[in-house]
Amino acid sequence: MSGALIAMAVLAGAANWAFRALPTMLMRREPHPGGLAARFLAATGPAAIATLFVASVLPQLYPAPRDLVPLAVGTAMTVLAFWPRRSVVAGTLAGAAAYAVAFWASG
Amino acid sequence: MTESPVAATADMPPGFLSGLGQALPIVLGYFPIAFSFGVAATRAGLSGAEATFLSLVIYAGASQFLALALVTSGAPVLVAAFTLIAMNVRHVLYGPALMRAAGRDGRRRHAWAWAWGLTDEVFGQALGALARGQRFSEGYMFGLGLAAYVAWVSGTGLGAWAGGGALEGWPALNAGLGFMLSALFMALLLSILSRTALPAIAVAAAATVAGTLAVSGTAGILAGMIGGALAGMARR
Repeated sequence: MSGALIAMAVLAGAANWAFRALPTMLMRREPHPGGLAARFLAATGPAAIATLFVASVLPQLYPAPRDLVPLAVGTAMTVLAFWPRRSVVAGTLAGAAAYAVAFWASG
Repeated sequence: MTESPVAATADMPPGFLSGLGQALPIVLGYFPIAFSFGVAATRAGLSGAEATFLSLVIYAGASQFLALALVTSGAPVLVAAFTLIAMNVRHVLYGPALMRAAGRDGRRRHAWAWAWGLTDEVFGQALGALARGQRFSEGYMFGLGLAAYVAWVSGTGLGAWAGGGALEGWPALNAGLGFMLSALFMALLLSILSRTALPAIAVAAAATVAGTLAVSGTAGILAGMIGGALAGMARR
């Protein structure tokens, strides 16, 4: 294993640990309820999840749209399977299965 | 007033096993991507041990694929490392946002260990669970994070061992597994959807598209997260 590969991985891994752990460990107190920091952190979750969903489907839509029928069917099934019990597991698995079936049927 | 045993059990925070169970969609989503990474790494000339080492030590999907490109292009170590580091700055927001959502249950004694597993998907799953009324516990975070980490590392090792073509004979299965993380984010989005969260969600989506089209995928993700959070902060 090359020394350069090890050095790059260790530096990047150490930074990843620091990004994920240090802000949690070093928080001294809860942000003031209703304050700017509290509102920013409260909005971070929804913003992050919306961002990651858009970032994950965008390559299928731009620059060349592909597999739009499986994408539509998979997304619709995720929503339909989620609602009855508000189950993330059920929604995710059903959506992925529907995507696979639609991909096979349209293929 | 004495609490009934049933009520006390119902109010117990979920533990390690609950975290393992709730990691199932993440595990199913991570495995094929990590498998693809193992395949790509061996195609780029890395050994199985080197590919698995990258997953074990870096543990960040997109930046690992970028690492392959940097390594094979002969980029200097520091340039490569800082490029990878820049891709993951967004993670600094996850711990504090989770602690804020956890409220009084937000213990951090072992955060030095469980926070290593705080990837995009683990953060989303944990936040979604809190939004559905589940209580926070460090044991749950360990279970959720460990299952995802093991799936990522073992998927890489198997991909490197199997080599290219292992999933090519099963295109529909490959496509379905490829959609797993998008479906997970969609379901998580539904689980936290509320009138209060709408401005952050709408601005984040628009900023992600704009940033990606104008600059790059990484810029789009940063623009979406920060723009959405600022929009949520501005809302009174």
